[in-house]
Amino acid sequence: MPFARFIGFSIVRAWQGFWRNAMMSLAATATVILMLVLLSGLLIVIAGLNSGLEFIESKVAVTAQLQDDLPEADRIELIADVETQPGVASVAYVSPEEAMERLRASYREAGEELDTGGAEIRLFASLEINLVDPNASGDVGEFLATHDDVVRVLTKQAEYDTLLGIINVIRTVGLVGIGLVGLTVLFMIINTIRIAVYSRAGEIEIMRLVGASDSFIRWPFILEGVLCGLIGAIVTIVLVAIVWDPIQPAMVTIFQMPTAVSARFLTTLSVVLLAAGLGVGALGSWISVRSYLSATH
Amino acid sequence: MVDVGMTYPNGKVALADVNVEIPNGDFVFLVGPSGAGKSTFIRLLIREQVPTTGSVRVAGRDLVRMRRRQVPALRRRIGIVFQDFRLLPSKTVAENVAFALDVTGAPRSHIRQRVPQLLSLVGLQDHAHHLPTQLSGGEQQRTAIARALVHAPTILIADEPTGNLDPVTSWEIIQLLIQINELGTTVLMATHNQEIVNAMRRRVLALEGGHLVRDEAAAAYEREY
Repeated sequence: MPFARFIGFSIVRAWQGFWRNAMMSLAATATVILMLVLLSGLLIVIAGLNSGLEFIESKVAVTAQLQDDLPEADRIELIADVETQPGVASVAYVSPEEAMERLRASYREAGEELDTGGAEIRLFASLEINLVDPNASGDVGEFLATHDDVVRVLTKQAEYDTLLGIINVIRTVGLVGIGLVGLTVLFMIINTIRIAVYSRAGEIEIMRLVGASDSFIRWPFILEGVLCGLIGAIVTIVLVAIVWDPIQPAMVTIFQMPTAVSARFLTTLSVVLLAAGLGVGALGSWISVRSYLSATH
Repeated sequence: MVDVGMTYPNGKVALADVNVEIPNGDFVFLVGPSGAGKSTFIRLLIREQVPTTGSVRVAGRDLVRMRRRQVPALRRRIGIVFQDFRLLPSKTVAENVAFALDVTGAPRSHIRQRVPQLLSLVGLQDHAHHLPTQLSGGEQQRTAIARALVHAPTILIADEPTGNLDPVTSWEIIQLLIQINELGTTVLMATHNQEIVNAMRRRVLALEGGHLVRDEAAAAYEREY
């Protein structure tokens, strides 16, 4: 019961305090929203690129172009050899005719017709090798490259590495940027709570004289900072939920790959945003109140 | 207080070799010119400060060894009122008194019962919903006294409680303090008001330059020969 009274007291006082200096509190909340929107943007882009990365991993990992007119017996032998390689899931043969049909289909998908100008085009026959373990692409690639029947080996390794590099750059730049914004937000909250504390210096003095414990003095201010973070987080979550559906196709257009992020990620993101908002609010007000109370005791 | 000395970091000696014992239920005046050490004396009693030498015991507690988190419990055993009342201007009389219970986590039922009791003790039951600005100086000081008594303290410290009041109102406040003393609360009153000290003939502690120069029962403001 006394604890419930303490909680109730602290929440009521924090709420009153938030609105007593509404301009300052709302400004601090706005900076929290700015920080969290940036954080959401970063997390969504990274999650999108990661799912793109998974997509690349799941696609045919190694393609081997075969010698023209390779006898069928040799081809079957080659397929059998490749299938015994470690990390290989399956091997599929793509004939020149099938390759041509795929090319035509990809043109049709883009709304165009393949126009060869009447020339006879013959594409390479190839083997498409699916891997159990994407990391095996190097070894399998090497095995194929040394084989006489294989003209050229194409792996997705380079594409994969490029994307991974982009993700790492975005992640680093993004985190540094958010770190800087986070410091600004922390500073705003420290100042907001400091002003709140100083404007109630008289009350704090009376509270001490009548025997209020430090927690009764401290927690309303800490909760006031937490309130800035909480409101900021809720507003951001609502914003993200509103733009969630429109940004999915936009990301696919921008990054030119399937970046669709599962809706479950929205839940994870909400939890992260709440934690970040509450964390920065609590930390800022804690620093502010602690420095004031120890300076005046 | 035993052999209490207080030297501030800037080298100023506020109190030196002070030995005082105040029994429960006493009514004591603390007199002396400005800068004599009265304020330091009071700050040591409520453990706003810790003496540089000697020991201070209040209500059976050793204030020098006391941990910081034990201070709130001590403060609930001590009521304190000031010359400038220190009321919260945005709260009514009843809210100012209730505030002291609220911030110490008292149950609401206790607050509802206790506040009217105290307001009628200090004669403000009809002013419960007035703001401090709507009150006279005497009424504001009564509100402050009601707040100081809210935890039923064993000691009431009054620091120049009549300093801002006219003589008639001052006497009313003194009457109230006597009444509180008669109910069993020890009262320590720091004052410059010679008239009151002389008329009351109570124990007088006189400080000068940080030294306790006089400790007499049934005494006057000035030394009498």
